[in-house]
This record gives sequence, structure tokens and C-alpha cells, in this order.
Amino acid sequence: MEFLYHFGPVFTLSSMAILCAGTIGGLLLGATPGLSPTMAVALLIPFTFHMDPAQGLMLLGAAYTATVAGGAVSAILLKIPGAPANIATALDGYAMARKGEGAKALQLCFIASFIGGVLGVLVLIFLTPVLAQWALSFGPSHLFWIAILGVTIIGSLDSKSVVKGLLAGCVGLWIAMIGYDSIQGVERFIFSEHLEGGVHIIAALIGLFAIPQVIEMLEGGRHKRTFELVSVKPHSVWKSAKITLGFPRALTIGSIVGVIIGLIPGAGGQIAGLVSYDQARRFSPDSEKFGTGHPEGVVAAETANNAMVGPSLVPLLTLSVPGSPTAAVLLGGLLIHGIFPGPNLFEKHGDVAWAFINSLLVGQFLMMIFGLYIAGLAAHVVRIPPAILASGILVLAVFGAYSVQNSQSDVVVMLMLGIGMYFLQQYGFSPAPLVLGVILGPIAESNYVQGRIIAQAGDGMFSYFCLGTMNLVLISLVVLSIVYSVATEIRMRRLDAVGEAAT
Amino acid sequence: MSDNVAGRLQQAVAAGVVLALGLWIALVSFSVEDPQPYLFPQLIAVAFVGLAVVAFLRALRGANRTGSGMSVEQLQNTAPAIALMLAYIFVAIPTLGFYAAATLAFFVLYSLYDPKSHKLASTWLMRVAVTAGFMTLIYVVFAMGLRVQTPRGMFI
Repeated sequence: MEFLYHFGPVFTLSSMAILCAGTIGGLLLGATPGLSPTMAVALLIPFTFHMDPAQGLMLLGAAYTATVAGGAVSAILLKIPGAPANIATALDGYAMARKGEGAKALQLCFIASFIGGVLGVLVLIFLTPVLAQWALSFGPSHLFWIAILGVTIIGSLDSKSVVKGLLAGCVGLWIAMIGYDSIQGVERFIFSEHLEGGVHIIAALIGLFAIPQVIEMLEGGRHKRTFELVSVKPHSVWKSAKITLGFPRALTIGSIVGVIIGLIPGAGGQIAGLVSYDQARRFSPDSEKFGTGHPEGVVAAETANNAMVGPSLVPLLTLSVPGSPTAAVLLGGLLIHGIFPGPNLFEKHGDVAWAFINSLLVGQFLMMIFGLYIAGLAAHVVRIPPAILASGILVLAVFGAYSVQNSQSDVVVMLMLGIGMYFLQQYGFSPAPLVLGVILGPIAESNYVQGRIIAQAGDGMFSYFCLGTMNLVLISLVVLSIVYSVATEIRMRRLDAVGEAAT
Repeated sequence: MSDNVAGRLQQAVAAGVVLALGLWIALVSFSVEDPQPYLFPQLIAVAFVGLAVVAFLRALRGANRTGSGMSVEQLQNTAPAIALMLAYIFVAIPTLGFYAAATLAFFVLYSLYDPKSHKLASTWLMRVAVTAGFMTLIYVVFAMGLRVQTPRGMFI
């Protein structure tokens, strides 16, 4: 119950103001089609530089929670999920909105998100210290394999092609090596004056997530975006709360699915929402109503995608392995504030870590309160034209990248990485494994070098890196993540072939 | 799987570029006099080249089924934006200054992709107002709030 002693820093005036700003900003950013939670958090990181580390992380945590929930607004009102996590929400949410129940659907979504979110954060609170304690026994070889596991899991699960996912991870690892070698100070891969300082994590994060989205928003040229925005008629919040609590099956399924999927590194919110929706439909006596505007579908999807948020931070805080692309960006935010997550986190930075986790719990309440009352306002945000949105994000990305260390080179690197990523995306490469490679590269390298020194003084490289229970478990997980994804890819390809043959 | 998958040639060119990058990394990593700082890069280069070869061979066989590639229309639509971004970073910022360049970039990008008619005065007024509003916000946040020192050009 140590967390109870760390609520003080959360309830100060400045922390509460930051949490409110992060929640409102996150809800509005999440509601805006085209702005993913990952990009929103990446763009917010520069704003935390001048903050106390705990408060900076509170802002990012509140924004993460709120953007996932806010993504439901455009999913319900426009059938355009604000984030991949809200794909399942659109299935029944939009149908409800078309029936004139838009406000009701939004209220159900925020109440269900709150219930799932609180449960997820409680899992984070109780599981993280236990795992961290266990991870204290890890040596350099284990940490090396954990870093590689992080890249392979996100590389294979976040991409449609395992080979391309892993290749993107390799590109990221290589980018991390650009600059001066941290041990001997030797120049590596510096082929431009802008790369002399290496590639800064935040510049890379902003470039890889924001710039491709800016260009994608403009892909349609000057054609007017046409969508039907349904009206939001007022609805009683209390009635919505009673309706939500009237679906205990959907709430339970959503919570369990969200927690389990959140704990699996790389699985992500979209999977949680869809799996929960599917399971709720199977077990519901009204399964035929799903997809026609049934409130139970909205409750199941939204409970799961917010229940995933807390547990997705468990592997991040204990092992430095982010559970989702947004968690990978949060890892960048932690590193910027000099906080290296891992087994020692609660020993070295216990006050900051607990304040951050507690703020996530408080953030759930704020997300529900503000969500319920600004849903109407968010309906206007979804109508911002892509031209304004893209121009704004571009300028914000440039200022954000520059403010990292007042360097024009960071801006150049950010833009070039972003443009390169846009073209890579067109050929099936995903930014998440690439970013993870950039973040985990130095961790993998330093542990590899340390392990090599230990191995040379002991039984040799093979014995040190490949033998021992923990090494074998981690290597098995690396192999398993790749084999599982290859099998899934082959199965999908066969299904596609069957589908094509049938048509 | 994507419904609209890029053609074999496009996939092969993309995979070829990645393979060339991998080969260059391998060449640099394995041809240095002192291999100590390049031990980890060598490890990555081996995995990189191996995966890139697989991706390239799959592209040649037409087995790469992800990524919709680039259409001519897509290129035509995105080229002005990319050109503007490059001009903004490499030309406008050093000559005009950070805020002036940002104002110009915002206004030009917004005007280029705004679906409203260019012939109406009200449209241009709206564009100027939105640009001024946004840039005021950026100035307040970064210059006055975060106190970020930006390099000056002809203007701020």
C-alpha cells in the first residue's frame, strides 16, 4: 500500500492544474481525427522539459489516458476512430449516434472508460513493484535480451509483415548508433554535420510519428472532406451511468481482456477493443443487436481499451519494455527527465514513479468528468479542416524538436526522419518498431558491451549470453514472438487467397 | 492485409533501397581498423542485411503483400507539402527567422490545401486570421511560456 503515501504531490494546485490541462487537451486531441495518442504524447514531451519530472510525467500520463478515451468522440460521431484503440467503439457507437443517441453513446463511453481505466491502473499499482523486485536480479545479458525482445515484439506484432517490422527495428537500432560511441568516443555513421550530436530521441519521436501524419492528411489534395456529422442531443448522465452498470458482463469482459492484452508488450489498444467487443457479443443474449447501435458493444470496447492503458505501463516501468507504441513514447519522456525505468525504478525514483502512477488514477476521474461535459465541445473539434490541422502540427513539430536542446540540427533530423518514414510507411514499414529501436538501441548496446567484458573474463560469449534459465526464457520469448507473428501472417495470407478465389 | 498492394517493381525498389542501406552499414562496420566501437553495429548489420535480403527476394517474387505504395496522384498531392517543408527548414528559418518562417509556412500550407475557393476575399481573410491566431498562441507558449531562444533571421 506504499502508493497511498505518495498522493500528496498529485493533489497540489499546480499538479491538479497540469492534470486538468493534460486531460482536456488529451480529450480534444484524441477527438481530432488523424491525431493518434502516440503523436499527441510525442508532441507534448517538449512542453515537459521545464517542469518538475513528476509533473512532466503527470501531463504525459493524463494526455495518454485522455487521448485514448477522446478518440471515441470521432468514432461515435463520424465513424472515424480518433485512435486505432477506438475501432471497435465505432461499430455500435456510430449506429447509436445515427439513431439520435450520440450523447448517450459518448456518456456510456466515458463511464465505461473510467471503470476499465481505474481497474487497469490498480493492476499497474499492485503488479509493478512485484515485477520490479523480481527484475532486480537481472544482469547485462538479461537486459540485452529484454531490449531485443522489446524490438522483436513490437516489430512483429505492430506490423502486417514480420520481416518489415523487424527491419524497421534494425533501422531504429542503427539510428541509435549514429554519433559518438559512448564508451570510446569514436565517430560512427556521421555523414552530415547535423548528425554530429547523434539523433535525439525526442526529435526522432516527433519526426517519426508527426510528420508522416501531416503528409497523410494532405494526400487527398484540395478535395473537400465530406462526412456526415450527426447531432448530439442532450441525455441524462445518471441514466447513462445506470445503463453502463446494467451491463456487468460487458464491463467484466472488457476489464479482463484489457488488462491481459495491456500486459502483453506490443499488443495495443485496438486489439483489446476488438477482442473485448467480440467476446461480449459471443456471451451476450442480445448478440444479434451488436452492430446495430447496441450500448453493450460501446461499453465492452471502451472498457477494454482504457483498461489496457495501466497494464501497458507495467512492462515499461519494470523491464523498460513498452507495452504499446504510446508507452514507447512515454519511455522517451522518462529518459528525458533522467529517469531510467527498470528494476531499480522504485529504489532510485520511487517518489516520481508513485506520483506518476497515482496521477494516472486521479486522471481517470478527471477524464470521466471532463469527458462527460466537453463531449459537446469535442463535436466541434472533429470538424477542424485537415489543412489547418496539418499546418499546425508541422509548426508545433518544428518548435517541439528545436526546444529539445535549442538546436536547428534536431529540426533537420526530425523532418528528414519524418519524410523518410512517410515513404517507408507506404511500403508497409511501421514507425513503432523503428522508434523502439532508437530508444532501446543504447540500452541493448551498453548491456552487450558490459556482458562481453564479463563473458571474456568467464566462460565465454555463448555461455554468458545464451545459457542459464533466464537467458533461455528470454531467447524463447524472442523466438516465440517472431514465430507466432510469422504463423499469423501466413494464416492471414491464406485467408486473403481464399477470399480472392471466392470473388 | 492491404487491399491495395503496391506493384512488384515499387516493392522491389523500396526493399532495394533498404538493402542498400543495410549493405552500407555492414561495409562501414566491418571495414574499420579498430572494431571495438563497432561490435554492436556489426551484430545489427548482420541481422539487417539478412532481413533486407529476405524482403528484397520476396519483393522480386511479388510476395510482399503490405503497403499500398505511391500512386501518381498521391505524389502530385504530397509533393508541394514536402517541398514546402524542406524550404521551411532549409531556407526560410535561416533567412527569415523562426517565427516569421513558421508564420509563412503555416499560411502557405493551409492556403495550398484549403478546399475553399482562392477567389473569395473572405477565404483569404479567414486564412490570415487563423494563421495570426495560431502563431500568437505558439509565440505565447514557446517564447513567453517556455522561454525557448530561437535563432533570428531578417525577422524574429
